[in-house]
Amino acid sequence: MFGPILEQILAIARDAWAFMAGLLIVVALLGGMYYVLQGTAGMAFGGSRMTSMAIIGVVGLVIIVLFAFLLLPQIGEMLESFQPQAPF
Amino acid sequence: MTAASSLLLTFLREAWLALASAFLAFALLAGIAQMLRVSSASVLGASLWVWESVSALLSVVVLGLFAFLGIPQIVSALHSTLPGAGGCGPISELGTLASGLIGGLAALRMLKAAFVSMLSASIGGASTFANALIECGEALFGMILASAAIPLAAWFLGTC
Repeated sequence: MFGPILEQILAIARDAWAFMAGLLIVVALLGGMYYVLQGTAGMAFGGSRMTSMAIIGVVGLVIIVLFAFLLLPQIGEMLESFQPQAPF
Repeated sequence: MTAASSLLLTFLREAWLALASAFLAFALLAGIAQMLRVSSASVLGASLWVWESVSALLSVVVLGLFAFLGIPQIVSALHSTLPGAGGCGPISELGTLASGLIGGLAALRMLKAAFVSMLSASIGGASTFANALIECGEALFGMILASAAIPLAAWFLGTC
């Protein structure tokens, strides 16, 4: 009875997931560009702290994106395995 | 009465399954929304926003575990305390129907509260875990009241 409604909701959720994953990639790329610019500017005028902060920022950004794309599906699979049948 | 009870419980079970599936989908959406917030905040250098998003992500996971592991246990524990047949004849059948419906409706209400909380988190709002817990408490209180009311009604209307 609820199957067609659920299919519609899941289709919207899939679209939203794809949209947000794309947006995450765009934000990560823009952030990466910003850090590269910061690092090269730091290197150009001898700002070693600026360069090292930029390198740390790029590494952090990569870790966040990997966390989002590797850990979230695992959490989803874990929750799916816990999905209960009706307890009544 | 038994056929009506079975029909209504089947309807409630299908609603439970659909709500649980939608809950899972929105949990994943809430997770990626919070990760998007973390990445944009870290690029902007907004550390407070990063910590808010990390705690919201943790609350999404906790809410998912509560919904999928906690609510069924609570409902089955309370469902076993509801007296099914407090008498004989039509009173007994009514008691069975009422206890089944009360259990099903309370379970759905708890899952709905968790779903609304998760929906709020998935659209970037605060994860209203406290509201979900309050609504679960109300449902529990209703089931406890019903567990006292059904034998009283059976006694009042006449038992064998």
